[in-house]
Amino acid sequence: MIAKVSAIAWREFSSTVLTKAFLIGAFLIPMLAALAIPLIIKFTEEAKAPPLEGKIAIVDRSGAVLPGVKDRLSEEGIATLIAETSSMVQKQFAEQLGDEADKWKEQLDSPLVRSAIAQGFGPPPVLTVESYPADTDIEALRDRLKPSEKEAEDALVGLAIVAPDAVQQTEGAEAFGGYELFIRAKTDDRHIDLIRRGLRDAVLDARYAAAGVDATNVEALTTVSAARTKEITDSGDARAATTALNMMLPFVFMILLIMSVMVGGQYLLTTTIEEKSSRVVEVLLSAVSPMQLMTGKILGQMCVGVVMLTVYAGVGVATLIAFAKADLLSVDKLVYLGIYFVLAYFIFASFMAAIGSAVNELREAQSLQTPVMLTVMLPYFFWLPITRDPNSTLAFVLSMVPPMSPFAMVVRIASSEPPPFWQIALSIAITAAFALGCVWFAAKVFRIGLLMFGKPPNFRTLVRWVRMA
Amino acid sequence: MPDAIIMDGITKTFGEKVAVRDMHMAVPEGALYGFIGPNGAGKTTTIRMIMSILFPDAGRLSVLGKASAVESKDRIGYLPEERGVYKKMKVGAFLNFIGKLKGAGGPGLDKKVRGWLDRVDLGDCYKKRCDELSKGMQQKVQFIAAVLHEPDLLIFDEPFSGLDPVNMRLLRDLFLEQHEAGRTVIFSTHVMHQAEQLCDHLIMINKGDKVLDASLDEIRAQYDPRTILFAPLEPSGAEAVGSVPGVESVTPMDGAFEVSLQDGVAPPEIMRQILQLTPVSKIELRRPTLEDVFIEIVTRDATQEADEASLRAELREEAAAGASV
Repeated sequence: MIAKVSAIAWREFSSTVLTKAFLIGAFLIPMLAALAIPLIIKFTEEAKAPPLEGKIAIVDRSGAVLPGVKDRLSEEGIATLIAETSSMVQKQFAEQLGDEADKWKEQLDSPLVRSAIAQGFGPPPVLTVESYPADTDIEALRDRLKPSEKEAEDALVGLAIVAPDAVQQTEGAEAFGGYELFIRAKTDDRHIDLIRRGLRDAVLDARYAAAGVDATNVEALTTVSAARTKEITDSGDARAATTALNMMLPFVFMILLIMSVMVGGQYLLTTTIEEKSSRVVEVLLSAVSPMQLMTGKILGQMCVGVVMLTVYAGVGVATLIAFAKADLLSVDKLVYLGIYFVLAYFIFASFMAAIGSAVNELREAQSLQTPVMLTVMLPYFFWLPITRDPNSTLAFVLSMVPPMSPFAMVVRIASSEPPPFWQIALSIAITAAFALGCVWFAAKVFRIGLLMFGKPPNFRTLVRWVRMA
Repeated sequence: MPDAIIMDGITKTFGEKVAVRDMHMAVPEGALYGFIGPNGAGKTTTIRMIMSILFPDAGRLSVLGKASAVESKDRIGYLPEERGVYKKMKVGAFLNFIGKLKGAGGPGLDKKVRGWLDRVDLGDCYKKRCDELSKGMQQKVQFIAAVLHEPDLLIFDEPFSGLDPVNMRLLRDLFLEQHEAGRTVIFSTHVMHQAEQLCDHLIMINKGDKVLDASLDEIRAQYDPRTILFAPLEPSGAEAVGSVPGVESVTPMDGAFEVSLQDGVAPPEIMRQILQLTPVSKIELRRPTLEDVFIEIVTRDATQEADEASLRAELREEAAAGASV
């Protein structure tokens, strides 16, 4: 009896896992993707901006900005701008990392990171600022920007026209004037950005000077430093509010669960249909009972799911350890993930076995399969509200009602506020009872369905079979 | 000798349709039984119930002394009509898998598989994938799957369909070999002459009813030849035959004549008399083939000819007698 079930399970497992298609699909492609990501990042990093060298024309109608522009767009001015950008990027990284930022401060500030960011800009643009009077023929200047004129002696890379009221507000006007910038086509966006920032700073400098304000003073006045948001929990602890990383963990748990459950279930459907359509099923039924056959198949494909789950979760854990974030995980979270995998898998696999036994080919399975698939997809819509408030009524209800409960509960367990133990226990009990019911239903349908050929059934027919069996 | 299979009032219905009605039969151990009947007669349903793949709605069933085949599956070899193989599996792996399912797992199994493959000329197919084999070759693989675990009872459902004559003979010899080894063999077919060639005993099923259950000898005796076929050298020779005492009628048939005899008349006597009356190019006693018997039974309600009345009566008697076994 056990020998027969395990023989079926082993055949099911080996004929699924030990195939090129599975090894390629399940491991090679994700591995290549994982390898490709750093390559893509490296490639993007190395896509330096092409060198930019040339004249930029300024028509300063305000009459007060030109010296500032010359200063800002000089070699030193540009170097300063790049340095500022690099520290801005670092700041954004730090915000993303949340609490961890302090740990990473040194790395973020290392010369390596700085030079990497600077690298991104490529060689800094070398610009010569040419000033033109306010009444210059703008059309003529614009013509000199054309890429076809690139090689000409008087070619321009840019043309900035500063409005007359850019520095001194016109009486009664609500805002200051600005500037217009024309750029030779196909200029790199990072260089455009630098030029715009240089122009903006020059205009601001001129405005501060005209208003008699000290620029450094303004910067100090407009900077408000705010400590990171802390949450006060019931125990009175102050801790960092949810960061992106904390939101990711429940999502990863859910995806792992959905993926491993679906892979095994989908293979189960396919092999059952294959056995039926190749008519090997009657040979099998002469040796084992339908219940033994189904048990063997479900267990075999469960091992496929376990392999997937172990490999991917293993990669996940390794990644967290590598990033020194392993404290986000605990053994009990992984144990719960395992328990809910088994429960979710049995529910899903039961339906897949029932459907596979009832139809004659994969195409016919589609209409029956859709509602089952939708149930599995549903958690996608709910993970965000559950992660935001893992102990809301919605989260509680979803984590108690099968077939959604395994997915909702792993999201809650992986969140920053895990549910109390009694809720987990209750949810496991309810889900396990439901899973048993599903297996019972599937066993009935399976027995009748396997030898039924002809018109593909609908759910009503399946229910009738259950009554018949 | 104890019975390998006992069916006692077995009935199976699918919705409105009665597939098998009040079936009684007993197949003794070591016998070679044939289930015959047209397509859709209920043969496969009967066999599936014996195999416990389907369960009867009513009646009592005993297989190898157990109440159902569930308990004796490992002692039964079954070649279903709807047979298949795992297309992507290697032949050797497939047979090993089935052997394990049949409880024959163990160190000797693989050797047995190879031995059987050699016996049916598939020795070089061990490592081939099942879908690389022709349909006839697959059928031989399935035959091995049925006998690999050395069962006591063998059931073959339409075993010869789709086989060429050479392989048909090979498979037939293998059947007989299994039978000679003392195993109970049952096979079903709708091709009558196969049953006639192979079986000791026949069970004829039509529309879910058992219409005949007798040994081949009994059937031959039952349908004792009452017809002589002869072709006279001269056409005029036939007329005199009609006046021979004991002859009921003479009907021309394809350039020859069919002579029906009255009851209680010995055919050899009439043949001698015909030869005295006229020289013949051919004269023979017409034995009804199983097919004649079968068609006779199946179409008996449609035929209303008077000279078949007695035969029909006998058949009904026979069927009733068989049903009470």
